[in-house]
Amino acid sequence: MNHLTQNTLAILNSKAPYSNTAGKDALDIALIFASFEQAPSLFFQGDGVYQLIANQDGSLISVKDYLKTFAAFEFYDIEDIYVCENSLIERKLTTDFHIEQIQVLSTQKFTQQLMSNNTILRF
Amino acid sequence: MKKLAVLITSPPYSNLSVTALNYIETALKADIEIIGVFFYQDAVLHANNQVAIASDEFQAKNHWQKLQQSYQIPLYLCITAADKRGLSDEQPTNINPIFTVTGLGELVELSNKADRLVQL
Repeated sequence: MNHLTQNTLAILNSKAPYSNTAGKDALDIALIFASFEQAPSLFFQGDGVYQLIANQDGSLISVKDYLKTFAAFEFYDIEDIYVCENSLIERKLTTDFHIEQIQVLSTQKFTQQLMSNNTILRF
Repeated sequence: MKKLAVLITSPPYSNLSVTALNYIETALKADIEIIGVFFYQDAVLHANNQVAIASDEFQAKNHWQKLQQSYQIPLYLCITAADKRGLSDEQPTNINPIFTVTGLGELVELSNKADRLVQL
């Protein structure tokens, strides 16, 4: 762990995408840090894993589909994206994600990876 | 002196506001410098002049006022989050003047300058 030698930010997503704006608010923070060349690591746990599931259409319920913007992560150099395997299993979800480069980690590895950052913001 | 930045995401009617203020006041007593508090999501309601919390409940507003006046701690309001909640800098009478209206870029700045950024 490079404690405090380098300022690393983790954003932990814990809410499903469309019932509230937590996911969008987290995305806005991720993109602003990335635009200052400080791309954060993104973590998806609990109901937050629903944000990664493919073939969702917010427009059916009149919600702007902010998940589409996830496709821009590569452009923003947001490359460290982790999902908690246990959260997927509990919800009977497959790894059919709408973006690539996602690393599925066991709860223990997920926690280790999360704790290696010196700032964690949770949404 | 250690530098602390705080991100508040809880509204004034949440008990987490009490935790946040206790945290900040304790940090100040421990000679930690608070370089800024950034209000995001429902926390922007802390800046709303019209919010009235029953008088026998915790008055977060008075604590922010005191912190800002005694320690000149900058209180930053995310304008995108504020606009969505009826707080517009075009109608600034709604906004408590102890708050500085700004954008998310300020949070990046705070995060870079602080030894630690904590969310409450």
